[in-house]
Amino acid sequence: MIQTITQKFTGSRSTLRAAEHRFIVIALVPTILFYLIVKFYPIFFAFFISMHEWSLFGNVSPFVGLDNYVLLAKDSLFYKVMWNTMYRTFAGTFLGAFCSLIVALILNPIKRGSILLRLIYFLPVMTSVIASATIWKWMLQTRFGLLNQLLSFVGIQPVPWLQSTTWAMPSIIVMGIWGGIGFTVIIYLAGLKGIPKDYYEAAEIDGASSIQLALKITLPLLKPVVSFVLITGVIGGFSGGFQAIYMMTGGGPLDSTRVLALHIYDYAFQRMFMGQASSMSFVLFAIVLILTLVQFKLQRVDWEL
Amino acid sequence: MANQDFVGIPSQVDTRALNRGATDFQRLRRGLLFNYLILGAGAILMIVPFIWMISTSFKPQAETVSFPPRLFPINPTVSNYIDVFDRANMGRLYWNTTFISVIKTVFNIYTSALLGYIFGKFVFRGRDIIFYILLSTWIIPFEVYLIPLYLMTVQVGWADTFTALIVPEIFTVYAMFMFRQFMYTIPTELVDAARIDGAGEWYIFHRIIIPLSRAALFTLIAFYFMWNWNDFLWPLVVISSHDKYVITVGLATFVGEFWNQYGVIMAGASLAIVPILALFIAVQRFIIEGVVLTGLKG
Repeated sequence: MIQTITQKFTGSRSTLRAAEHRFIVIALVPTILFYLIVKFYPIFFAFFISMHEWSLFGNVSPFVGLDNYVLLAKDSLFYKVMWNTMYRTFAGTFLGAFCSLIVALILNPIKRGSILLRLIYFLPVMTSVIASATIWKWMLQTRFGLLNQLLSFVGIQPVPWLQSTTWAMPSIIVMGIWGGIGFTVIIYLAGLKGIPKDYYEAAEIDGASSIQLALKITLPLLKPVVSFVLITGVIGGFSGGFQAIYMMTGGGPLDSTRVLALHIYDYAFQRMFMGQASSMSFVLFAIVLILTLVQFKLQRVDWEL
Repeated sequence: MANQDFVGIPSQVDTRALNRGATDFQRLRRGLLFNYLILGAGAILMIVPFIWMISTSFKPQAETVSFPPRLFPINPTVSNYIDVFDRANMGRLYWNTTFISVIKTVFNIYTSALLGYIFGKFVFRGRDIIFYILLSTWIIPFEVYLIPLYLMTVQVGWADTFTALIVPEIFTVYAMFMFRQFMYTIPTELVDAARIDGAGEWYIFHRIIIPLSRAALFTLIAFYFMWNWNDFLWPLVVISSHDKYVITVGLATFVGEFWNQYGVIMAGASLAIVPILALFIAVQRFIIEGVVLTGLKG
């Protein structure tokens, strides 16, 4: 039985021995079944749900065609959610990439204590966002939080960080940068390691200053890594932010921190509009897909340079 | 960078110092001092939230809201921790999270190593197509799966079970990709030689490939254990009974209940963070070097 499947699967003229055939089939058949059931079927199911008025409690889920998508296009809250998502994504990614680049550039020449420094910058990466958000919410508390208490020493009135429509999103973005900087720094350091030392030595002999070294050698050669960090950051950003925002503001105040991931969860599992929530997840899917294709294109360009 | 070996290797310092003269040497020294100052200030910013968490967790309620802020409590207390253990069923949360994380990580790493080996070291028809089809699921955001997977879980009667937490995440694309990359560093001749000696395919995988993949293996185990331990959204949606909560969901619920008792909340956060941080600091050399090793290069 297995023999015939293998024959069909790998082709009879393959150079593999029967034992190898069997090995591959035994490993791949369950894998492919798993992916079909858990990774591919749910996508079609999600699209099917998005075409219905689907409620967990209702027995009937009437077919509504593309109405859920039309509703989204007319929903001003959805536009606000998309704006918030983009705000968090772009501000967080670019600021985070910039701060990490600075840290990586000044951490790179250091030998003594560099392991300890890397570890410290990496601590928040290892911490669950739920726990980090709990701490940050406490530090940003208006009356008793550490930040406002420290600011009061220099005469600044307490700022309601997480209760203000102006400050809530920047607070969440800063916390996100704090949480991700350690990982990005390590990616940059790996990239910096790949730059041949001869370049620097040659430039130093020619009398280049350290700023010239950074601007004329390091940054151009690090460009592929920077674009990798930016694009993966933006792609991840569109579907991210759920845990921090769920813990710190719940999307408020006045929906000013309501991002797509939270909005989908809220519609699906709090308000029980699963059809509507599925249509949002498809909008997210489309955005991520387009960005990924852009990344493939850009990376190819970078390699050619 | 160039000044790296300047500090590290004395013999090179001599030749360079001759080339450049003493003023350059001093310039570099000053440069590094500047680096340490900036990095030190940054490190303090990174670590303050943790220190403040630990500090608050040992303060009685009255001290948590007192002004000015104090790093060391006047009357340190462990009552917050006792409260957490009494009210949050911490032992249960630890056990559930550890149990699920270990099982998921074992499955994740074993299946990924196996598939990485197959896609990296065998040649068969359709190999690349299958690999890239599996890999393509990497880009799909979890939010797309959230609703259909939840409905499927309810359908098969797995709602509110550990099975629902583990089964949908047995296979994982990222580790599979990393192992496949890593296979290129293992010479194929080794596998062929073992075959000629009469070793079976599973024997080769378990006794040759897995031990040779140690570097990738440790890093990926550490990362997957961390990700599985910190997982939140799926357990939040699937698990409804308190005795099956994992630590992140438990902490989120706990914060909701004790919202204004900052000492107790920070004790809860410390208890959620400390075991995993301790584990990671113990193996951190592997992790940080492994990120580089497994081929994370832009």
